[in-house]
Amino acid sequence: MASVQITIDGITGSVPPGSTVLEAARSLGVDIPTLCDHPAIQPIGACRICLIEVEKQRGLQPACTFPVNEGMVVHTKSPKVVDARRFVLQLLFSERNHFCMFCQASGSCELQDLAYEYGLDHWEYDRAFPQMPVDASRKYFTMDHNRCILCRRCIRACDELVGNGTLGLKYRGAETRVIADMDVPFGDSTCVACGTCLQVCPVGAVLDRMSAYMGATDEVDRVKSRCTACSVGCGLELVVRDNRVIRVEGDWDAEPNKGLLCELGRFGLMYDKRKRVNKPLVKTESGWVETTWEDALGQVQQKLSGAGDALCTVVSGLASTEAAQAVMEKLPGTKAVMDGGMPAAADGIGVLDEADLFIVVQTDLTKDYQVAGFAVKRSVRHRGARLMILDDAQNGLEQLAVWKGTPEDAAHVLAVAQDAQMPVIIYDAAGAEIAKKLVDLLPNAKQVTFPGGSNAHGLASVGLDTSFTANGANAYYVLAAEAGQPDEKLMDALQKADYVVVQSSFREPWLDVAQVILPSPTAYEKNGTFITAEGCKVEVAAGVSSKLLSEVEVIERIAAGL
Amino acid sequence: MADSLYRANVLVCGGTGCTASGSQPLMEALKSEIVRRGLEGEVRVVETGCRGFCAMGPVMIVYPEGIFYCQVQAEDVPELVEETLVKGRVVERLTYKEPLTHQAVPFYKDIPFYGKQLRVCLRNCGLINPENIDEYIAQGGYEALGKALAEMTPDGVIDEVKRSGLRGRGGAGFLVGLKWEFARKARGDVKYIVCNADEGDPGAFMDRSILEGDPHALLEGMIIAGYAIGAKEGYIYCRAEYPLAIERLKLAIEQAHEYGLMGERILDTDFSFEIYIKEGAGAFVCGEETALIASIEGKRGEPRPRPPFPAVSGLWGKPTNNNNVKSYANIPQIIANGAEWFSAIGEPRSPGTAIFALTGKVENTGLVEVPMGITMGEIVFDIGGGIPKNKQFKAVQTGGPLGGCVPASGLNLKVDFDSLREAGAVMGSGGMIVVDEDTCMVEFSKYFLTFATAESCGKCVPCRVGGRRMLEILTRITEGKGTMEDLDTIEEIAKGMANASICALGQLTPGPVLSALRYFREEFVAHIVEKRCPAGACKSLVRSPCVNACPAGVDVPSYISLVSEGKYAEALEVHRERNPFALSCGRVCPAFCEQRCRRGELDQPIAIRQIKRFMADQELENPWTPARKEPKKGKKVAVIGSGPAGLTSALRLAQWGYDVTVHEALPVAGGMMAVGIPEYRLPKDILNIEIDNVRRAGVEIVLNSRLGRDITIDQLLDSDGYDAVVLAIGAQISRAMRVSGEDLEGVLGGTEFLQDVTLGKAPDMAGKRVAVVGGGNTAIDAARTAMRLGASEVHLVYRRTRDAMPAQELEVEEAVEEGLKLHFLVNPSRIMGNGKVEGLELVSQELGDFDNSARRRPQPIEGSEFVLPVDVVIEAIGQSTDVGCADGCGVSFNRNTTVEVNKELCTTREGVFAAGDAVLGPATVVEAVAQGNQVAVAVDSYLQDGEPVSKEEWLAYGSVPLTWNMEGYAEAGREEMPVQAPEVRRNNWKEVELGFAREACHEECKRCLRCDLEDKF
Repeated sequence: MASVQITIDGITGSVPPGSTVLEAARSLGVDIPTLCDHPAIQPIGACRICLIEVEKQRGLQPACTFPVNEGMVVHTKSPKVVDARRFVLQLLFSERNHFCMFCQASGSCELQDLAYEYGLDHWEYDRAFPQMPVDASRKYFTMDHNRCILCRRCIRACDELVGNGTLGLKYRGAETRVIADMDVPFGDSTCVACGTCLQVCPVGAVLDRMSAYMGATDEVDRVKSRCTACSVGCGLELVVRDNRVIRVEGDWDAEPNKGLLCELGRFGLMYDKRKRVNKPLVKTESGWVETTWEDALGQVQQKLSGAGDALCTVVSGLASTEAAQAVMEKLPGTKAVMDGGMPAAADGIGVLDEADLFIVVQTDLTKDYQVAGFAVKRSVRHRGARLMILDDAQNGLEQLAVWKGTPEDAAHVLAVAQDAQMPVIIYDAAGAEIAKKLVDLLPNAKQVTFPGGSNAHGLASVGLDTSFTANGANAYYVLAAEAGQPDEKLMDALQKADYVVVQSSFREPWLDVAQVILPSPTAYEKNGTFITAEGCKVEVAAGVSSKLLSEVEVIERIAAGL
Repeated sequence: MADSLYRANVLVCGGTGCTASGSQPLMEALKSEIVRRGLEGEVRVVETGCRGFCAMGPVMIVYPEGIFYCQVQAEDVPELVEETLVKGRVVERLTYKEPLTHQAVPFYKDIPFYGKQLRVCLRNCGLINPENIDEYIAQGGYEALGKALAEMTPDGVIDEVKRSGLRGRGGAGFLVGLKWEFARKARGDVKYIVCNADEGDPGAFMDRSILEGDPHALLEGMIIAGYAIGAKEGYIYCRAEYPLAIERLKLAIEQAHEYGLMGERILDTDFSFEIYIKEGAGAFVCGEETALIASIEGKRGEPRPRPPFPAVSGLWGKPTNNNNVKSYANIPQIIANGAEWFSAIGEPRSPGTAIFALTGKVENTGLVEVPMGITMGEIVFDIGGGIPKNKQFKAVQTGGPLGGCVPASGLNLKVDFDSLREAGAVMGSGGMIVVDEDTCMVEFSKYFLTFATAESCGKCVPCRVGGRRMLEILTRITEGKGTMEDLDTIEEIAKGMANASICALGQLTPGPVLSALRYFREEFVAHIVEKRCPAGACKSLVRSPCVNACPAGVDVPSYISLVSEGKYAEALEVHRERNPFALSCGRVCPAFCEQRCRRGELDQPIAIRQIKRFMADQELENPWTPARKEPKKGKKVAVIGSGPAGLTSALRLAQWGYDVTVHEALPVAGGMMAVGIPEYRLPKDILNIEIDNVRRAGVEIVLNSRLGRDITIDQLLDSDGYDAVVLAIGAQISRAMRVSGEDLEGVLGGTEFLQDVTLGKAPDMAGKRVAVVGGGNTAIDAARTAMRLGASEVHLVYRRTRDAMPAQELEVEEAVEEGLKLHFLVNPSRIMGNGKVEGLELVSQELGDFDNSARRRPQPIEGSEFVLPVDVVIEAIGQSTDVGCADGCGVSFNRNTTVEVNKELCTTREGVFAAGDAVLGPATVVEAVAQGNQVAVAVDSYLQDGEPVSKEEWLAYGSVPLTWNMEGYAEAGREEMPVQAPEVRRNNWKEVELGFAREACHEECKRCLRCDLEDKF
């Protein structure tokens, strides 16, 4: 059967077989309220807000789990349905502390929204006000059990999406409580601080510390952008108020992360305590002195114009494609990439959710490319996919692996991989060589690869694909952006050089190697395109306006004076 | 086989109940005694599964005779072996005794507990050794499996099960065959059979009994199910709290493997089947099939919404058939005997048998298996033996903590899936808890709600939160803090939970509360409005069971304590705060307090009435003068009727400063105390002392002043300047029997007869044969009075049985001692005679359905008429109020002749109140006193410009310390009341009871457990 005909509240339409009533209603434009349901996770029919009346069925049914049948007639707003929903809401409000005026979530709370929708203007039942603990042991967010409605979105997101399974339930009935691991403080748990629980919580139970009480939904702006912390290139939303990013959320509509972020992507830059470079600095005998753009750029132009071909421009993989292009087009001398080798772009990260065997080579997905790691974890834990690790160091995924060996044991992989329908080899620059051998042995294997930096493919797309090697240059312009100290090779060259200009977001000790330091915007402040590990061109958009010149502007102004 | 050589088989029950009461040591003793006597070659001892009669455990049956012994202990073994196994004689001491007659019932087949049972599912339990597969096979076991595999197709098996009409024994009653068909038709190579052996209902143990007593029946049923739906694996989800069941299941699985009845290629066919045991961790919700499946999968045991149903996507996402233990255990017999055999048992829509765990306030607790369609009353009263200690049946809770209760009106209910559901109870897994008058239905339902909410998994909001909110409300009500709105809220939450919860646990959690509210709403209201727990169970509302039971709320433990110290005056003061008639009540009170006395649960209740009498008698020499407690109010109240209600209200109002006049129609004061209760129970001299007490409070009693003849209410209120009137006119007109011949000479009304005797107008009874009709106290009073007037023979004719008589048991006993002849199950059909009574024609009665008093309704047996030759017939079948006396005064009466009053006892005419029998119908002195107190407060409030008067100070209880060491009285029995010998008292009018001696009385007082102090220690 190609489609199923269904009538909801008098509207008849066709939906794919296997749809739930909720999905069908949404496709027909009928609104059914939900609480425990979330589009990214499996429905469990727990909260009972989405109850509907299905003709010829006894009692009320949860729309989120009830499958459609041919000719089914559904009523979503009958008095019985509305009564049941109001009953559930009244119970929820009586259960714990739901005094909206004292809650950060007020204004962006799904429970509160429903209360307005269903006209709850008083407490129908006595309030129990159990004294529940508030767990503030985690760095970035707190868990206030008093606000929790036990919808379990956090638990399911942690399990189904992140594959981490840190969260669970303790006790039963009215005593039920969300816990981490075997009821340890959240901060001491196996939590990886990805913040997905925070993002799915419909109420104010999981609370972001930094943005708490900083602005309600209608007081903030949201800017869709991209994470530049690594080459996975997760889509995100910058939550902005008063020209300040107060929170970062995963973009549910974005590939490849589908709403997920890792600790670095969600909190990294927010909590970056490094001192910013706000104004151009020039080195004098009495040390670093702030100066104007005109002065600094003037000095730079003067010095670099004499350098000619002895100038080497080194661009960080965190720079935008546009900045790289400007470098290529406008600046003389040699050009190189500051960090990272670049395995060839291969298959999309999406294959991770289809693979039945993962071969991870020399990379720890619990530390790098974490969001891809989540896909591996959930596939192993829920789809029964197998994981093999080739790594001579400790690897965070070891416990999930059916096998782990050093790169020398690569041949062993074959025995297991032979019967795999869709093996995927996952690697970055460090494992590229071994991976190549595996690919030769396993021609049907897919490859998911991660270049260094976040925009290596973007840099390469404009011809900037050379890793830095000492080439005798004596003047350097380093576009470091948010990058930290470069590798030894480059540092060595910089120390030996006559003149070094570094454009950097943060005032780091290594910058002392330079004669001039130019400020660089951070990812929250710049616009530009990036090309992700899987080869997609994505837009990074500034969430806040900055007084700093953009990367491109700086390059252009330098070039203009050369 | 060697077994057949044994001369006798002794079957000892090894079920859980009997094991708990000592069947293991018994078995050891038996075996060693048999060896000692060299009988091991002749007598075999077999440990069997449960026989169901747990109340009588340990039980054993000696075959071939079928002698049934109960409560046998190891020390009984030598005698038992000697007498029964050597000499072939029955040891009567160890046989079952019929509770009513104490008649010994030596043989299993004759025991009423088993009489109405039909053991289909439990047929092997208690008969075979569950640890021996051969015994199961010897009983026809595994024949069905053979038949199914050799002769039937899987569809044929399903068809057979469908035709049998077997419904799921887990409680919901879904058709088993249909369920199998769904699973068979579901797409998938791998399918599973699951057995729900997670019997979680408190008090239910029928599944356990099968698992422990006949495990192969379950295995065989599951294997057949596997064959039918195409499964190769089965799981038994058995609670870990059943270690014996698990052990026996494991053994049975092992044996079935050995015999080729399980495993690969069963009985050399292509069919293979394995069964695994999964131990549950004791979560009630895991009885719900999706939660059970989740638990087997190793997940948190929580239900999920259906669809998809397990038949489509169950265990590990595969088509799965889940049934209860009993459902599977029925299968082998259905296959072996055919669908028709099974469907002929029980009801057409609920064929087969039902197994109940009968517990609570019933004589024979245990496991019973009955054909569907048997009535609830048959289970409770015939199989269960009725309610112990002569208590009143109140309700039966079926279906465990998610079920519901039915009251007496449900005793005629057919026990099957549909009738029970209609009545608001459910079949559930078969718990059946009987409760009596001492159970508070609010607390009872709260108990189940507490269980169900504690077992809620917490997944869905309605169950998790709704149950908790309801429990809070119920708790509040049991503490006297509820409101009437709470009752609506309970119903609202219940509706919401039923509509919105995921699984049956949440949907049915409110069941017990709803059914209690449906049938016992007045108990909830009593807790809320009167702050009173009628059953005396809710601690916050109950000072002690005796105080709670007393209609007037007399502080029994306090005055008993004071009497024990000889402080009689203080004790009397305590008593009179709520009841001024200590002398009278000390003689005639039915002592509701004693019926609830907690000491009675240990041995016998405290002799409260006798202590009261002793206490009151101490004051005879120096009677009480009631003090005025409030200043004169200058208002006048007229009380009509000088019975206990009238006099109590008059006394209270006089003490509170009103001018009170009592009008009495008769030439004597005291109402029914004077003219209804015979001299030998309440001497007039004693009564008059008590009436004089009231006079000394300033109350004027005008005799021979009859309402409607000498006075009218209009006159009292309009002309005589009374501000309020209390109607306490009683109910003293005997109801007629409405048979022919009532106009004959010699037909008397019970109350009229007693009144005439008191007023010196006694009819001539000398040498006459008298029949008294009725079973109440008036009937007994009339009969004993007739005897004292010289009647030659006195017969009491009652249409029910003795245990159904409303008269006080002591009175009946004394009357019989005096020579009264009792005739039960007979009812007058006409009075015969020619001008004068010559005989009473009686029709024999048989007991039919149960009525609302939980007594079987007598029905005439046609053609059974016979004549009792008598000269006098006294009708004592009921009393009504003389409504004529209040004609045209604006006071309305109810259809049963009681006065129509509101909650404040105000009649339909302003300023006119009513109390006593006129409101209650014929009742007791103490109930009338309670009404007198209540009406006095109402009148006082009315006369203070309608402002409710707080009498809290008056109503407050004091606290009397415990002064003796209770330990010393742990073993003390109840003091016997000395009485006149029957042959002497029959011929005089002196008091039958002679009263306690001082020392005896003091000792009796100290048996009191002082329950009123319970929470103070």
